[in-house]
Amino acid sequence: MSVPSGQRSASRRALLTAAPAVLLVVLVIGAALLTALLQSLGFLPVFGEARFSTEAWADGASLLESAGVSLYLATASTALALVVGFLVAAYALTAGRGGRLVAALSAATIPIPHLVASGAIGLLLADAGFLARVLGMPEGFPQLVGDSWWAAVILEFAWKESAFVALVVLGGIGRPVAELTETAATLGASARQRMLHVILPLARVPLGVAGLVVFVYTLGSYEAPWLLGPVAPEPLSVRAVRLFGSVDLSSRPEAMATALTSVAVALAVIGLGLLLTRRSRRRSRAQSGVSS
Amino acid sequence: MTRHRPRTRTQKHLMILPSLAAGALLLSACAGGSVAAPEEFTDFDAVLDAAQGQTVDLWMYGGDEQGNTYVDEELAPAAEELGITLRRVPVTDTADALNRVLNERQAGREDGSVDLVWVNGPTFSTGRQAEAWRCGWTEMLPNMEHTDPADPLLSDDFGTPVNGCEAPWHKAQFTYFYDSEAVAEPPESLPELIDWAEANPGRFTYPGPPDFTGSVFLREVMISQAGGAGEIPLEFSAESFAEHSPAAIETLEELAPSLWREGATYPRDEQALNELFNDRQIDIGMTYGPARLTELVDSGALPASTRVMPMEEGTVGNASFLAIPVNAQDTAGAMAVANLALSPAQQALKADPEVWGQFTVLDVEGLDSADRSRFEELPSSPVVPSYQELSRNAHAELGFDWVPALDEAWRESVARR
Repeated sequence: MSVPSGQRSASRRALLTAAPAVLLVVLVIGAALLTALLQSLGFLPVFGEARFSTEAWADGASLLESAGVSLYLATASTALALVVGFLVAAYALTAGRGGRLVAALSAATIPIPHLVASGAIGLLLADAGFLARVLGMPEGFPQLVGDSWWAAVILEFAWKESAFVALVVLGGIGRPVAELTETAATLGASARQRMLHVILPLARVPLGVAGLVVFVYTLGSYEAPWLLGPVAPEPLSVRAVRLFGSVDLSSRPEAMATALTSVAVALAVIGLGLLLTRRSRRRSRAQSGVSS
Repeated sequence: MTRHRPRTRTQKHLMILPSLAAGALLLSACAGGSVAAPEEFTDFDAVLDAAQGQTVDLWMYGGDEQGNTYVDEELAPAAEELGITLRRVPVTDTADALNRVLNERQAGREDGSVDLVWVNGPTFSTGRQAEAWRCGWTEMLPNMEHTDPADPLLSDDFGTPVNGCEAPWHKAQFTYFYDSEAVAEPPESLPELIDWAEANPGRFTYPGPPDFTGSVFLREVMISQAGGAGEIPLEFSAESFAEHSPAAIETLEELAPSLWREGATYPRDEQALNELFNDRQIDIGMTYGPARLTELVDSGALPASTRVMPMEEGTVGNASFLAIPVNAQDTAGAMAVANLALSPAQQALKADPEVWGQFTVLDVEGLDSADRSRFEELPSSPVVPSYQELSRNAHAELGFDWVPALDEAWRESVARR
């Protein structure tokens, strides 16, 4: 495909404009990652002689187990956040005043810090928490906080991140979609059909991008799994912070190895995600080309 | 403002400069730096002179309301009279303060932002290993003469010799407590406590190590299984670890199904344990800060039926200290505050259960009569017995290296059950 020269110079200008910001990010993150890598390999010890050692990476089984927990948490939270976020956005777009209220309420949860939200979820869902008390402490109240399914953690992430997903979808497809759904309605489409055949195809790219952001965020997030999850096994983030803060200074390289594993997993997911979104974007462009 | 004007090319270049500088700064930080020799003082008067106008940042665990209030409303005004501004920096874990010191040293900073730290044994030992603490300064403090030089709690901290690298602040005794409404006949020793937990499934648990309190409980179980404090060498070695740790781990593995949540998980820290206790989910709790119990009961964080449960064989005790990092910016001020905190007036005030209730490190018998009467006139707490009673048959902490080794063994076995 040949690109017109005007477009090429425009993209070069865009690149130049972004360069200072990109350079700063690359320098800061690059330096941080380099430091982490050096520390994980035994250089830059807190005390004593620096010497090369791969000891911190030797406990592969624990790293893999933690990565597994992290991936499970991120996948479950992202899936739930995408479904709920999409439903909120679809409702907000089609339900008039009520929809705007739901959109406003959902947007209002965005500034709440995850730590505060985790505390609130803990108070609500704990064994003797608010919900259990309101229900009169029933025998069969499920164990949600600190359980082996990480239920409270996933709920916390899904709640907070669904608001973010809804915001991105609303911003991504905007008001024109309301007209499209109205047209579809006049042509006799049911609510279900409008959602699945009008809104969902349009929202696919924003959903993909938001899903990627949510996935990477929950993968690296520490507060909710630490506060609401069981003591063991632990996700990468919790393991990294525990080892970094350990009174045993020789566990710092291991903390760095854990953090770097988390970075590697996140980068792999971002790469895969970008590939898929690009393909899906190309496909939707091709489809719209056929229909017009 | 020129925000809306398009930037010229030179401006664009200028914007790159700070980012390069930031990167270079970070990279140079990685290279590490050396720390200059700390400044020396000839005597304590010189310290007081140098301390004039200094601002001392005291980094301490911030989750203790009474402790925060004591420092803000009693210690800080007293420091103000010496011409020193005392600023309390709350941290969630004492290790955070040490981490800050180490990171600043790695970055080559000599005007460190941490001047004084309320340290516990593990943090002190770790800092000693990394040579992060200033040493040999406590003998200069005039108020050190009120302490007993033969007191083993003040000369060794978790098996690490103190060597004048930290000034004592208060004493603590590991203490169990129970809900007197739920438990008619409380256990009187650790083996009895374990039997009680097995007989009352779901009514007992302990914070999961590496939490400080949970970690102490782990060591207490090991000592109890070994047949007493005298049976385990204080100094860590792989042989003694292999000899003594399996019995403790086995006991806790067998106990786990009888714990809260069948031992599938553990409360995260002492605060989470107290919440379970207050929610009446468990009937027995534990703490290394019995002094706080009075206030916790008063404020409703623990039920009014909370009672201390003394152990026949005694529990572990230690002292906590104030340490000064080698790269502290306001060293003289920090020394003056450490001396002030050791004064009979401040120690007596701090020992009042209404104020903080922390047990004194001073040798009360050796004080002059006016100072002694300050301690004798202290009100007693309805919840907490006196230090003499609590510390009966007390034993010392094991060497620091036992702590991470045992915590890790627990994590690999009991936590994964």
